[in-house]
Amino acid sequence: MSPLLEVRGVTKRFEGLLAVDRVDLDVGQGEIVGVIGPNGAGKTSLFNCLSGLDAPTAGTIRFRGELLAGRPDRFTRAGVARTFQNIRLFPHMTAFENVLVGRHCRTRVGLASAIGRGPRFHREERESEARAGELLAFVGLGRLGGVVARNLSYGDQRRLEIARALASEPGLLLLDEPRAGMNAQETRATADLVRLIRDRGVAVAVIEHDMRFIFGLCDRVAVLVQGHKLVEGSPAEVQGDPRVIEAYLGAPTA
Amino acid sequence: MLGATYGLIALGYTMVYGIIQLINFAHGEIFMVGAFGGLTAYRYWLPGSLAGNVWVALPFVLLVAIGVAVAVAVLVERLAYRPLRNAPRLAPLITAIGVSIFLQEMVRLFYPGGKRQQPFPQLISSGTFAVGGVTVAWVSVFVVVVAVALMVGLQVFVKTTRTGKAMRATSQDPESARLMGIDIDRVIVVTFVLGAALAAVAGVMQGMRFAQIDFRIGFLAGLKAFTAAVLGGIGNLTGAVLGGFLLGIVEALATQYVPHGSSWKDVWAFVMLIGVLVVRPGGLLGERVATRA
Amino acid sequence: MRLDRPSGVALPAAGAAALVAGSLSPWATFAGFPGKMSLGGFPGGARLFCLLLVAGSALFVVDTGGRRRAALAAALGAVAVVGLNLVALVDQGGGLGGPAWGAWLSLAGAGLLAAGAWRLPAGRAAAPDDWPARPASVEVAAVAVGLLALLGAVVWGLAINESSRFVSFLVFVGFTCAALHHLGLFTWLTVLFARRQRMAVALGGAAAVAFPFTQQGNAYWIRVFASIGVFAVAAIGLNVVVGLAGLLDLGYVAFFGVGAYVGALLANASLTTVHVHVPFLAVVLLGGCVAAVFGLVIGAPTLRLRGDYLAIVTLGFGEIFRITANNWDGLTRGPNGISGVPDLAAGGFNFGAAHSLFGVTLPGFANYYFVELALIAAAIVVFTRLNDSRIGRAWVAIREDEVAAAASGIDTIRLKLLAFAIGAFMAGCAGTVNAHLTTQVSPDSYTFLESILLVAAVVLGGMGTVPGALLGSTALFVLPEKLRSFQDKRLLLFGAALVLLMRFRPEGLVPSRRRRREFRDDAPAPAP
Ligand SMILES: Nc1ncnc2c1ncn2[C@@H]1O[C@H](COP(=O)(O)OP(=O)(O)O)[C@@H](O)[C@H]1O
Ligand SMILES: [Mg+2]
Repeated sequence: MSPLLEVRGVTKRFEGLLAVDRVDLDVGQGEIVGVIGPNGAGKTSLFNCLSGLDAPTAGTIRFRGELLAGRPDRFTRAGVARTFQNIRLFPHMTAFENVLVGRHCRTRVGLASAIGRGPRFHREERESEARAGELLAFVGLGRLGGVVARNLSYGDQRRLEIARALASEPGLLLLDEPRAGMNAQETRATADLVRLIRDRGVAVAVIEHDMRFIFGLCDRVAVLVQGHKLVEGSPAEVQGDPRVIEAYLGAPTA
Repeated sequence: MLGATYGLIALGYTMVYGIIQLINFAHGEIFMVGAFGGLTAYRYWLPGSLAGNVWVALPFVLLVAIGVAVAVAVLVERLAYRPLRNAPRLAPLITAIGVSIFLQEMVRLFYPGGKRQQPFPQLISSGTFAVGGVTVAWVSVFVVVVAVALMVGLQVFVKTTRTGKAMRATSQDPESARLMGIDIDRVIVVTFVLGAALAAVAGVMQGMRFAQIDFRIGFLAGLKAFTAAVLGGIGNLTGAVLGGFLLGIVEALATQYVPHGSSWKDVWAFVMLIGVLVVRPGGLLGERVATRA
Repeated sequence: MRLDRPSGVALPAAGAAALVAGSLSPWATFAGFPGKMSLGGFPGGARLFCLLLVAGSALFVVDTGGRRRAALAAALGAVAVVGLNLVALVDQGGGLGGPAWGAWLSLAGAGLLAAGAWRLPAGRAAAPDDWPARPASVEVAAVAVGLLALLGAVVWGLAINESSRFVSFLVFVGFTCAALHHLGLFTWLTVLFARRQRMAVALGGAAAVAFPFTQQGNAYWIRVFASIGVFAVAAIGLNVVVGLAGLLDLGYVAFFGVGAYVGALLANASLTTVHVHVPFLAVVLLGGCVAAVFGLVIGAPTLRLRGDYLAIVTLGFGEIFRITANNWDGLTRGPNGISGVPDLAAGGFNFGAAHSLFGVTLPGFANYYFVELALIAAAIVVFTRLNDSRIGRAWVAIREDEVAAAASGIDTIRLKLLAFAIGAFMAGCAGTVNAHLTTQVSPDSYTFLESILLVAAVVLGGMGTVPGALLGSTALFVLPEKLRSFQDKRLLLFGAALVLLMRFRPEGLVPSRRRRREFRDDAPAPAP
């Protein structure tokens, strides 16, 4: 069986700079895959390609066997959702409305139906609201649905972003540094949340700097350095690999 | 050369846009105010005995025009734009439109005879000379020479001086620039000052070329200059100049060779604008407009 | 209730007394100033507004949330009213001999009141508890009274003919609203109106339908409101584009113009180039559709780009439209335009003629007025229902963060195009009606300034709300009518007003809650 996500030779070039260099990566059904690497290694750039925000300079991305290309909403509709390293919520909408927006690509109501307000409109709207409520509760924001996103605490904003991404019913969730700015307790809660997401049948790819977080959570870890994939393997393999240590600490001998 | 005027005004648009991402609608009016400043200098402040002397009259007119335009631009920045620095994008844009209407009306209502066309002095002899069968007016030569000199000067300023470097840094990343100790407010004021000075020179040049000015000249000239800035790639200084000249040439050719060209004269700028945006959204010299995550 | 200094009440008390006395005394030494200002003993003209503003001094003895700012607003309102009239009196009375002692006394009184208010302790801001929940009957009554007050203010304002008095009236209304706002009244009313929305809408609708019957066959204000109606439909359409989707359209009047030309060309006007007559209802829809197609053609290439480009391209399109209409003699008859557009007629019913209904004779304009009402109602339904659906949420998301919206699965280009086309459609519909209402169309009605006026109507009223668009278009239509004596300086004031509005109340008069949050960091968040 082919993996859920198949990344082949994806390359992203910014003018002279090679941000992502011929990266291959697979994510299987029900897997949690970690992506680590020093700052500027191209992790976010890779995610931008995987979520359609940037077009790769070269390479292909297949999801459930289908080629993915075009604008980001296509990727989301196909089943790849994401969060952002520097949180990008809709700041003046309530938490609940933020999640409802995430439902957009799974709902159908068009112009005529929205104006006409037939039974279909109400059915769909009720369904969306139920889903949004359920997701808010799932990420632990059950009682904060009416709060304007901007006024949420940092950790809650990150959780809300996850709920919004889940609202689009993805098969794969891309998390870009989901624990940045969190304390130890929140970090643990986030790791638990990621596992729960996996248990819902959603595969997860996660970028993080926190090694303990990554190695405790992931089934497989890929290390990016200067755009190219240095190592990939189980947490134990990656942890023991001298090239990784070298990449992080600098070469022992010049 | 119309293109030179557009280019000079376009520089102001491009600089301000590069630094605070504001389409400074009132910039066309700064150009107009500059022209009226020059007119005032000539008509009221210049002793009659000196009026005929090009070497005195021209610099004097230019200096006063620049002074007036710069003063107005700085006031506008201080009073209207600065309080809105962190407001949503729509607010400063609408403010700019308000300022533009306000300035036009100020001149129309309060400048002596401002409601009618005002004759503008021909500071340079209206003579022409011929090169290879083509007659060229001295004014045109002057306009092009001054425009090119100013544009080169601006490039040098931005590339080499401390302030110029601060401007470039701010336009690339205001937040980091501020953290590096650059006084953003000062950079913005300098930007407005430079833009206004160039626009004022353009205003005087426009007056000399057409021999008359009125309170409306800023609107169309401003729009076209903005088009020029977009043509060249907004935020790009060389692009603005290039766009200005290109627009001037296209207008001149279209007026001459398209049937009924003169009544459609003002359309070409916009047609070109839309065309360029469709084919090459970033402008001729601009980078591609990419969304950032 | 506690006041720290005895002078705390003495000062405002003296001020209030002086203001009352001054308002009952003559303000002018010469006859002819509006409001019989040279006569004493009664508060004619602007003096009435001062007398009403004195009510604000009650706040010196009642301790309630936000009272300092409210008292200050009332007192400054009085200062402004007296001050403006003093200037006018000096101007028209030939120097300092113009104003009489009553005016100076009022100014002093108002000044004392302001000083007293300034010295009030800052106190707390108005809180929701100041206006506790009331029984349903009180709420219903409050909604009715609120609407009546609004209607009364409009009728009162319309009845004022002199510009100077109208300005005083505006100042009075403005400062009174500010005072009431600081007391928390409007916050309370907003909540009430939201809760009693159906009733408020029904009452408002009923009042609008009843209006022509109150005019005793007089066509003037019916005509004005019919014109406002056209403007309002376009403003609601523009509000979809600007207020909901956050796209700035600076050439919007071109879509209105497209509709107007379609309407005029298909009506078999007396001076026209196309001699066909298409039924009106079809023309309205056709006008809307043609405008929408233009919207799509303009929007498709530009909506991919950053927002500012759209502003400029739409501006350019507006100019292209105007220049084309001016030069395409074969179709548009160039600068002369198309004139002699006949009145609407439907099955023997002539919209131009007067008709009798319930024993009241309604002038021909009333028919157009009702057509406009129907159109506005339709526009409101479309606007509010779209706003409150996945489409409306997607628009807001795009406005707030386009990248995040796209990553959340929204086809941003498609939705922006949709907003653009709907806005253009509404403008096109309004345009066709306008062609009949004004009986002619010509290119000079569709200038950049008209587009700006529409944007200003939306912004002034409040982006993203229907009452905002209605209020904004009414204000921008009525103000020029009322300020005739400022004729020449109107545009100047308009420009200055735009700048001041953006500086001090960028969210407009009736902002949507979300817009308010965008413009004010301290705006209250809704309770969970
Ligand atoms: N839009 C862009 N334009 C130019 N360079 C970029 C852009 N985005 C990222 N880069 C560069 O690409 C490299 C990789 O960045 P990024 O993917 O953000 O790294 P990481 O997420 O691993 O820290 C960096 O050197 C960064 O400066
Ligand atoms: Mg990153």
